[in-house]
Amino acid sequence: MIETEHLSKTYGTTSAITDVTFSVEKGEILGFLGPNGAGKTTTMRILTGYLPATSGTARIAGFEVHENSMAVRQRIGYLPETPPLYPEMTVEGFLHFVARIKGVSAGDRSARVKMALRRCNLQEKHDVLIRKLSKGFRQRVGIAQAIVHDPPAIILDEPTVGLDPRQIIEVRNLIKSLAGEHTIILSTHILPEVSMTCSRVAIINRGQVVAINTPEQLMAQLASGTGYELEVEGDLTSVHLQLEDLIGVKSVEVASDEWLAKNRHRIRVALESGCDPGREIAAAIVQSGLGLYEMKRIRVSLEDVFLELTTEEKTIDSATAESAIAESVALDSDRVEDSEPSDLEEAEMAESIDESESVPPETEDESSEAKLTDRTGGESA
Amino acid sequence: MGIIFANIIAIYRRELQSYFASPFAYIVAGVFWLLSGFFFIAIFGTLVQQSIIQDQYGIPTPFDVSSEILGAFLGVLSSLVLFVMPMLSMGLYSEERKRGTLELLATSPITNWAVALGKLLGVVTFFATMVLPLLLYEVIAFSASNPPIQPTVLAIGHVGLILLAAAILSLGMFISSLTDSTVLAAILTFALALLLWVIDFIADRIGGTIGGAIGHLSLLKNYNLLAQGILDTSTLVLFASYVILGLFLTAQSIEAFRFQRS
Repeated sequence: MIETEHLSKTYGTTSAITDVTFSVEKGEILGFLGPNGAGKTTTMRILTGYLPATSGTARIAGFEVHENSMAVRQRIGYLPETPPLYPEMTVEGFLHFVARIKGVSAGDRSARVKMALRRCNLQEKHDVLIRKLSKGFRQRVGIAQAIVHDPPAIILDEPTVGLDPRQIIEVRNLIKSLAGEHTIILSTHILPEVSMTCSRVAIINRGQVVAINTPEQLMAQLASGTGYELEVEGDLTSVHLQLEDLIGVKSVEVASDEWLAKNRHRIRVALESGCDPGREIAAAIVQSGLGLYEMKRIRVSLEDVFLELTTEEKTIDSATAESAIAESVALDSDRVEDSEPSDLEEAEMAESIDESESVPPETEDESSEAKLTDRTGGESA
Repeated sequence: MGIIFANIIAIYRRELQSYFASPFAYIVAGVFWLLSGFFFIAIFGTLVQQSIIQDQYGIPTPFDVSSEILGAFLGVLSSLVLFVMPMLSMGLYSEERKRGTLELLATSPITNWAVALGKLLGVVTFFATMVLPLLLYEVIAFSASNPPIQPTVLAIGHVGLILLAAAILSLGMFISSLTDSTVLAAILTFALALLLWVIDFIADRIGGTIGGAIGHLSLLKNYNLLAQGILDTSTLVLFASYVILGLFLTAQSIEAFRFQRS
């Protein structure tokens, strides 16, 4: 549905994206993930035909975006970073205008506008001036204008930026509901967003696609694998060695935690990929006479994958870029370290608020799992 | 072809809608009406009084009061247009650039030409509605005049005013497409219109064939012909050329804006 081949774009002497190749199947949601300034917006603008690529080709529904610009423009819905809205128009008037310039026939227009209003939950605001809408509603109007002509491909540039957690959830659900009949590309620098909405993720950094896969596989492919976090009571010296000798254990690390009760310790056990010696770990602890108060599996989050890929420049799928990247490692890791923490904090914050509001199934599972392990630990002790 | 036409209409309607929904446009129109009404009364009073005085002293010079009034009034209106048009044209593209709606237009199946033409038609229509109320009181004032004013002369004069406005608006639209700043667009448009206004004074200084050629570009000279009720093809061609030049430059500048954008 959407495919690019060796897409590059340079502004003067600085290159914004280099050799970007990917394809999106019909009905998929592809998430573009990358730090600010990684080239997400540039790639999207090329796909919409707004910017010409310096080299390479991009096709949407079989049409080359630059040569067949008009055909492509008819088949895409695009939400730029700032929603393109006319503040002096009403929501419905604006959507009618967009439908008209997108070439929706006069007979279908009212129905299409109604549909877009309904999908984006804007019915009650249909005759309100856009100027008077809150940020969240404006964003929804922005999405409505991208889907009003029922395009096969939808391109959304940071659709949830600046929204409050409740609105973020709404927008994500809306995007998910659009998949299937529409092919969607969305960009974001908020990590939980991709794992929640996208069927595939392309991690883009310094203008290059460093990895592209499903969120689950990206996490699975990461070499560091999974691990366990334990809370134990007693003297650690003997058990430490015992744990390290277990098959499948990569490293054991004692984390200091001042919140813990006296004589209790928190241990992190990192595992080799593909191994899960959970039973052996529990047994080792119990056998050494220590109290096991908590045992919790740590999953690699997309944050880890993202940080790994964008700071150390490991390529998982595209080995081609290896040499080019090597040159810029030193420079890049500085830059990312500078810019990333705030993004991550924001992401984490968004996620934690999400959780407190809606409690996604993931957290529930984890806590019940923890309780379970706690109980079994107690029993065996 | 039908699609292009439909697109132009879509842009035109949106543009007009936004004028009628914006307090700024009403303020501009209000000031225009206030000043023009004031000048009409002043000109009317002065010239009528002058003719009465001439009658009293028995000065035999033939004096067509009504056409003198019309000529003077159209002259004043043209100066007002010079000030008001930059205010109408300044936001045409710079607002779209600022709000990011240009990105919407540029990623919709609609050509730059259609957008520019739709916008220009919209703003010219708005100006035409600003001129209509003036015609009302002119018709009332001139209905009692003797010798009567030819309706065609009246019509040509006002069409000339609208053509003059269209030429300035078209160039103003181009300038507006160059910048995000509406204020800068207004100032530059005013400067350019002023230059085209006084260009025949400059041409006179230069003299010779070059001076003569430049002199033909003057907006004021060509407008004055129309204001006198003289319909000349070369005048119409000149105004049309300004309009087309403005449209062409606008379409090109938007295209270039996308290419160099970072």
